[in-house]
Amino acid sequence: MNSKDLIAVFKQVAKEVDKRDFPEVTGDSVISDLGIDSLSMMQIVGEMELKLDIMIPDEDLVELVTVKDLLAVVERRMERA
Amino acid sequence: METKLAMRMYQEYTTFFQKAERERRWNPFDDIPWDKVNKSASEELALCAETFCGVEMYLPDYVAGGLNVVRKCFGQAWFQANWAYEESKHALVLTEYLLRSGKRTDEQMADFQNQILDKTWERPFDTARRMTLYGVIQEMATFVIYLKQRDRALVEKCEALHKIYDYIARDEIAHCRFYQGVVKVLMEEDREGTLADLAHVFAKFEMPGVKLVPNYDGRIEVMRSAGIDRAVFLQKVYFPVLKYLGITRQELLHAGRKLRPVREVEATPRINGHTNGVHEPSERAF
Repeated sequence: MNSKDLIAVFKQVAKEVDKRDFPEVTGDSVISDLGIDSLSMMQIVGEMELKLDIMIPDEDLVELVTVKDLLAVVERRMERA
Repeated sequence: METKLAMRMYQEYTTFFQKAERERRWNPFDDIPWDKVNKSASEELALCAETFCGVEMYLPDYVAGGLNVVRKCFGQAWFQANWAYEESKHALVLTEYLLRSGKRTDEQMADFQNQILDKTWERPFDTARRMTLYGVIQEMATFVIYLKQRDRALVEKCEALHKIYDYIARDEIAHCRFYQGVVKVLMEEDREGTLADLAHVFAKFEMPGVKLVPNYDGRIEVMRSAGIDRAVFLQKVYFPVLKYLGITRQELLHAGRKLRPVREVEATPRINGHTNGVHEPSERAF
């Protein structure tokens, strides 16, 4: 799964969690600028973990600023899976 | 309420109360070093104090909403009464700070109080369990915010305000610990239902009163640096709450998924055999 695919997964999950579209999302998008707060973000991360069959340690989730930050964490976990 | 559960709640309350009586009682007039107010501290510091004071001033609504929902449980109801006494000192001592520091006049404070009390805070959840879970999160978040304010007061060399926030923060974490103790009891009774409620409360959570405070948008601009950002919220509130209660993120997610109608779950696409989750969006401060 490449970065483009992961962004697509992110957009899909974010839409399901926040019940709105995220058409303009790129890797450089700042998560808070997308109007996604920390608790929604935890739901998004949880759903991505389920979809991709990975588990991300809590400590990796604290400093996420951009979508790219999240996807990097996800990719690292997928490589180890 | 069955006897065993009622007694567990009673024990939680007596533990809380005894510790409060022994270690945590303070007097807003006698225990603050009022001669060490820094009158030249920044207006930003005063605005933060005024805003927190405003949030604390919705006490009549917090009491009315919180007490009625637990009135049939002695332990929880008596806690609410004690909680109200302790919280009442918070608005009082912040009002005293604003007046004694010269940051606000009597007229300004009276006007502020009128504006505050013209609006009513509504209880965000209808059950005792959900309100208890809300209490866990809200008290922990408030504790973290007040600690940050305490540090700022020290930077601005206001020993009086530093002591005020020290006392308030200590109260808030004590309240949080009581609620957490109750939640542990509730989880022993019904873990699945309590987790589902926690997922619901997290999904709908927002800090109390903040949007009711006059000129909220203007205040939040000034206070942005004084509040807690998402990293701090996760690090100091979300993860510690889950850890203390012995709950993982994954458990919470599964519990939240069960809140949805079955057909909605089934209608969502799958990747690797898993379904997607949908939660209600909400506005929060973090």
